[in-house]
Amino acid sequence: MLELRGVTVPGRQRPRIRAVSLQLQPGERVALLGRSGAGKSTLLAVANGLITPAEGRVYWFGAPASQQPLQRRRQQARIGTLWQDLRLVDELSVQQNLNAGCLARWSWRQVLLNLFSAQESEACCRALARVELEASLLVQPLGRLSGGQRQRVAIARLLRQNAELLLADEPLAQLDPPLARRLLQLVLDLGQPPRALLLSLHRPDLLEGFDRVIGLRQGELVFDQSPSALSPEDLHHLYSSSGLS
Amino acid sequence: MRSLFLVLAVLLAPLSPVLAAQVLRISAIPDQNPERLNRLYGLVAAELGDQLGVQVRYVPVIDYTAAVTGFRRGDLDLVWFGGLTGVQARLQTPGAVVLAQRDVDARFLSVFIANRQALKDLKPFTSIDELSQLKDKRFSFGSESSTSGRLMPQFFLAKAGVEPKDFSGGRPGFSGSHDATIALVQSGAYEAGALNEQVWESRLKEGKVDTSKVVLLWRTPTYPDYHWVAQGNLNKRFGAGFTSKLQQALLNLSPDQPRQAQVLELFGAKKFIEAPVDQYASIESVGRQLGKIR
Amino acid sequence: MTPAGQMLIPALVLLPLLWLLPGAVHGGGLALLLQFWVAALQPSLEPHLLLTALRGIGVTLAIALWSWLLSLLLGFGGGLLSSVAVSQRLWCCSWPALLARRLLALPRSLHELLWGLILLQLMGLQPGVAVLAIALPYGALVARVMADQLDALPVRPIEALSTAGAPAWAALFTAFLPPLWPQVLSYGGYRLECALRSATLLGVFGLGGIGADLRLSLQSLQFHEVWTSLWCLAAVMLLLEWSVRWLQRRWHQPLGCVGQRGLELLLLAVVLGLLLIPSAQLMELRWQELFSSWHWPESLPLWDVAGWMQPWLPLIGTTLLLTLLSALLALAITPWVLLLLCPWNGCRPLLQLLGLLARLLPPPLTALLLLFVLKPGLLPAVLALGLHNAGILGRLLLEGLDAQDQRASEALQLAGAGPRRSLLVAGFNTVARSYLSFGAYRADVILRESVVVGLVGAGGLGVLLLESLSSFAWIEVVPVLVVYAALTLIGEAAADAYRSRLLSGPLPLEGLNPAVGS
Repeated sequence: MLELRGVTVPGRQRPRIRAVSLQLQPGERVALLGRSGAGKSTLLAVANGLITPAEGRVYWFGAPASQQPLQRRRQQARIGTLWQDLRLVDELSVQQNLNAGCLARWSWRQVLLNLFSAQESEACCRALARVELEASLLVQPLGRLSGGQRQRVAIARLLRQNAELLLADEPLAQLDPPLARRLLQLVLDLGQPPRALLLSLHRPDLLEGFDRVIGLRQGELVFDQSPSALSPEDLHHLYSSSGLS
Repeated sequence: MRSLFLVLAVLLAPLSPVLAAQVLRISAIPDQNPERLNRLYGLVAAELGDQLGVQVRYVPVIDYTAAVTGFRRGDLDLVWFGGLTGVQARLQTPGAVVLAQRDVDARFLSVFIANRQALKDLKPFTSIDELSQLKDKRFSFGSESSTSGRLMPQFFLAKAGVEPKDFSGGRPGFSGSHDATIALVQSGAYEAGALNEQVWESRLKEGKVDTSKVVLLWRTPTYPDYHWVAQGNLNKRFGAGFTSKLQQALLNLSPDQPRQAQVLELFGAKKFIEAPVDQYASIESVGRQLGKIR
Repeated sequence: MTPAGQMLIPALVLLPLLWLLPGAVHGGGLALLLQFWVAALQPSLEPHLLLTALRGIGVTLAIALWSWLLSLLLGFGGGLLSSVAVSQRLWCCSWPALLARRLLALPRSLHELLWGLILLQLMGLQPGVAVLAIALPYGALVARVMADQLDALPVRPIEALSTAGAPAWAALFTAFLPPLWPQVLSYGGYRLECALRSATLLGVFGLGGIGADLRLSLQSLQFHEVWTSLWCLAAVMLLLEWSVRWLQRRWHQPLGCVGQRGLELLLLAVVLGLLLIPSAQLMELRWQELFSSWHWPESLPLWDVAGWMQPWLPLIGTTLLLTLLSALLALAITPWVLLLLCPWNGCRPLLQLLGLLARLLPPPLTALLLLFVLKPGLLPAVLALGLHNAGILGRLLLEGLDAQDQRASEALQLAGAGPRRSLLVAGFNTVARSYLSFGAYRADVILRESVVVGLVGAGGLGVLLLESLSSFAWIEVVPVLVVYAALTLIGEAAADAYRSRLLSGPLPLEGLNPAVGS
């Protein structure tokens, strides 16, 4: 579903990621591990097309990432991203935010109507139910929701987008442990076949349920293996500060 | 469907061309109180309309410059201009013709007036040189482009050695109209002013001047002033011979008919006469001298 | 210095003004000035006069409405074109936006009156001139404000939508419009009030509406008639200001969602739309004439060297001096009056009434009134511009004080501080930054406005411009316009620099937030 071949993104002092290659098959759920600043966010931004790498190639669903705008948008519409900072629109209602996931397939009329009145309420209700939120929240302005509720709304937006490849950038960073576990379960459920999931974490304590773990260190890929095969040495190498300048 | 058409018709009403017959638009420089102008030119429009069989409309303008601009742009067809504005308008509008002037316009003059209290020691002048006594006084002209309220008074002041910057405050005032000049001098807001002699006389006669407060200082030598100027394309728009019919209608205004008599009275004239174009050469040269014609 | 101190410092401008005063007063027309104010209590109520006044108001309102709508359309389009953020989304590069921004600076640099006088020359006597004259500079101004607002919005939500495959325009609409909307509403309403003032001013110069009646009846000293028009105008202005405020309060929800008020908005749009047609008919607006009758003066000597030979230094110097003095005066009046009179209960209503009168009278007419008692020159011009703008700034200050949190000043008063001290410490310090920032913006407006008091011989570029226009001296008009435009653009940059230093953040423009204290 996703393939990176020798991808390099230059940075100010050193490359943000260097010569990274990886592959993601349908149904695979992969965790991306590394310290903060290791290049996880950059890698995800390459994966969803926000950044075009200076070197190397990106393949989406078996085809090279297109440079032709329309074609590229069609490919991107199948990729959903759960951003670290959520990137929802505070001034819109929950329902309007959910519907923002549908922009790629909607006509201009629906896009405009969405700004003025509630569209596709039933589908939105279903999406909210999947993330265990009450339907009564639909009409609430997003700005009034709590942090955990907003995170769920962001996940529900991915549902509305009906993305096949799910990318998630540190979705659990600011949550207390029980909540983090529940949300991770939700995301993992979403990533079941035929979908695929690539999720970045900066701590290695929530790896159950993932099929593979990829380690990133200073922009380079250091391991790519199953979580059960992960040794303490691997982790130590990943998180040690030696070699940092 | 029909209602849709109705809505469209209403919506597009501002867009539709004027379907009515050609309108002759007349105007005048706003040298007097607007009510008076409305009354006068309402009568003129009615009279010309009846005589010529076309629709005539009076278009009021707010200042002298606007009248010249309107004429140059072709928005006004027949305008009662002052000497200076008439020359400006004709210089800017190729083909424009002078149709008529009043009997008084060939030998027109201005008056200088003063506030009695403010200038107690000022006696009426006997010669032009005495104008120099107006230095350092608060002085008001009429409109900036007025011939009798600004151009010629400024010309005579210059002959006596008084420049606009010599007045109190380093600048003369511009009241806007002849009536306003009288009122402002009478009130004491200005100590002295200059205006159209004819307006002065007629306001005296109507008892609208408080002679205990305002005094006449000096009458200027004569010069040509007001005239009717028409666009050169009227024959093309209204039919052959229209311009001369229009001219005749103006020249034939007589005191025997009640409405025409009223028009002539409001104009302060016994009749209109033909106006030789070359008499305005003097105005043009003064205008160039004072920078009002470039 | 505390912000409140900065608010009170401009009063130093009174020293040179007081020094100028004895030489400028003549008092000859004091009786006339008294008559004018006495006439306020007995406006002429003759039916035909009332009818004329109502018609004049109608035309002024029609001009304001049309020019306002047109300027919002132009401003919206221009704002999208000149926003770097939008440009990067749509065209993946920012130079089209930067270019548009430069181009839009040009229409903005000239006062609407100058646009009116230029368009009058090009298009002739027709009501459309006033509409376009206001719409062009206003449109460019709205475009700038919109672009600034757009560029200050967070781009991350839009990136999120774009990487999920949304078309650029759909992402723009969904992620940019909602946060922009409250500001559009509040700023748009404020522009309508400005448009009414501008339409009145253009009328004073003969471009249609009540302004012409005001000037003519004032010039012929028919004070009772002047007040008929003035009271009508006051009623309309107050009604407009109140209803705009009311709608802004109703629709301004910091965390609300767009769409909840959709029906009301739609209703308002329909009402405005229905008003457009009768108002076009009222002012006899005919589009085909507007676009068919353009007429360039033949042989326009644009680059003739003779026209460029002007004593620029004193001209520019006088213009700047006039601007500076008026701006400081406008800034100083309200805080000081408030400070001196605040123990008295009638202080606020009195200030509100005086402010309304100051906003109501266009500066050239105030200047004409002042000439009854002052000699022509800089002083009446400074007073006229200063008082008019003090009326506008004063209203913002009073609203800011009303909107602010009252607890701090209550606490101070409970602790025994007098009303003056609590106003100075709690009230002024909270609103000072935004007040001063609006003041800087106003100074920028006054620089453009300084041309309108050319009537009273204040000197400077305005006088030269009006004189050369009335002499049809194109050879002089163009250089003066160019210099004027350059000057206002520099002034705008200076005001912006001051404001961004003051606020260290995106610039809230006058009228952008209904509450000044934020």
